[in-house]
Amino acid sequence: MTSKRMVAPYVLILPSFVLAALIVIWPVAELAQIASHNVNRFGQLRDFAGMANFRALLDDPNFIASLWRTGIWTVCVVGGAIACAVPVALVLNEDFYGRDIARVIVMLPWAVSLTMTAIVWRWALSGESGMLNSALMGLGLIDENIQWLAEATTAFPMQILIGILVTIPFTVTIILGGLSSIPDDLYEAAALEGAGRWEQFRHITLPLIAPFLNIALVLNTIYVFNSFPIIWAMTQGGPANSTDILVTYLYKVGFRLGKLGEASAVSLVMFGILLIFTLIYVRITTTARGVRA
Amino acid sequence: MNSSKLRRSLVCWLVLSPIVVAAIFPFAVMLITALKPSTEVLRPTWWPSRVAWENFRTMWVATNFGNALKNSLYVSVLATLGSLIVSIPAAYALTRFDFKGREFYRQFLLVTQMLSPIVLVVGLFRLMVALGIIDSINAVTVVYAAFNIAFSVWMLQSYFATIPLDLEEAAWMEGAGRARTLVKVFLPLAVPAMVVTAIFTFINAWNEFVIALTLLRSQDGYTLPIQIFSLVSGRYTVEWHHVMAATFAATIPIAIAFAWLQRYLVRGLALGAVK
Repeated sequence: MTSKRMVAPYVLILPSFVLAALIVIWPVAELAQIASHNVNRFGQLRDFAGMANFRALLDDPNFIASLWRTGIWTVCVVGGAIACAVPVALVLNEDFYGRDIARVIVMLPWAVSLTMTAIVWRWALSGESGMLNSALMGLGLIDENIQWLAEATTAFPMQILIGILVTIPFTVTIILGGLSSIPDDLYEAAALEGAGRWEQFRHITLPLIAPFLNIALVLNTIYVFNSFPIIWAMTQGGPANSTDILVTYLYKVGFRLGKLGEASAVSLVMFGILLIFTLIYVRITTTARGVRA
Repeated sequence: MNSSKLRRSLVCWLVLSPIVVAAIFPFAVMLITALKPSTEVLRPTWWPSRVAWENFRTMWVATNFGNALKNSLYVSVLATLGSLIVSIPAAYALTRFDFKGREFYRQFLLVTQMLSPIVLVVGLFRLMVALGIIDSINAVTVVYAAFNIAFSVWMLQSYFATIPLDLEEAAWMEGAGRARTLVKVFLPLAVPAMVVTAIFTFINAWNEFVIALTLLRSQDGYTLPIQIFSLVSGRYTVEWHHVMAATFAATIPIAIAFAWLQRYLVRGLALGAVK
């Protein structure tokens, strides 16, 4: 019985492990190999090149610009999404008429493929016939059409706003999970002690949902850092590479310019950054479990 | 009492109004553009002069929607089944056994979840070339199944943990073996969790972009997101009423399923996240 029980769990996890490993470990090994060799555009390896591909990246101003822009993109989208999601989740946790409908509406952007969202917004933001311009004109907010996607100063902020909009549902979901774990009697006790709503929020709600906020923060950072379709389907990183982030830069270098070596080097740089995020996540969830235990 | 709830409702909706508008706006754009007669699409007015239902019919032919729909269904259904078949035993092992390497396995899954396909895309491309299945929707199916394992195990495990062990123990007491108990007692109780997980995996596969964009080369194999993207990318004239009709048709079934299921997601993710 004992020996059987020792084998059983490994047999049970084996298929999923093999499949996931095939799709993750093999490509990572490939990436390491390509990144350290000269490679032609059909993917044939030539001679060993050491760090040459990485050095080529550092010499490319577009890579450095994309790296910075990725930082701005990630910080703004994640920060904006959390700043919006906390009040939204607090409201959705209240008992009010039409709450179920409100929940569904807030969650809707999550259901739509990011590609489709981006295509719809690209159309809505079009300068001459876009419905955002006509709506804003109808409301008297602007006098002439704005060419939203024609330059980075308007395109990139718009992409950040759309990023925030599509990140809110997941964030709200996590925070709602946290809010539902807070027992009501805590608030009743605080109210008896004469604590106002703001004090209740600061001293009860916030500390108790903090672990959930941390999780939302790290997971969102990872998802947003990796997010490709919004920028690709709206501007393809243009005009003139001015809205490129690392993922779109990677795609362009690899599949447009055919520089697979440099593209693999970008992948490995991203892999490193993501591993750091993952370690932070593991750290946070273990302490969260400690708090709960 | 009732009037105070009414007042609270007003305040709540007022606070939510910006995000409600922002969430509904794309749907309004989709639907209104889809229903504009083709001559009015580029005119910057909000409302069409008449409702052009025929756009959906012409779109179906013009965008080759049927073929892309078939591909999307094929890929999403098979990827969901594949991912569930390997994830259910894994989630069961993680909830019901305490074994060496359990933590390692969980962290391995976490890493696969962190690495989005885009980071691995060059390596995946080479993998598929090595396996000789480039430009095949089966390759896309396998990749989707694999990338959904972490999410599926995570969701399933958080539900499995809520199924009380007592029932299984009672069955063992009566002499049923572990396997028999699993099939007769545990799995029936786990059906709702499997259905919910399956639907979310399906939605993930249905909406995926990068892998399909990279691995699918010929138009015959295009899934819906790629097909629709190909209608707008690198073209001088875009038939926006067709594009929006296609987007709407591809989105609405999923949005309805999602609206219906989102409360399970709140529970599953929250449980999984902190456990």
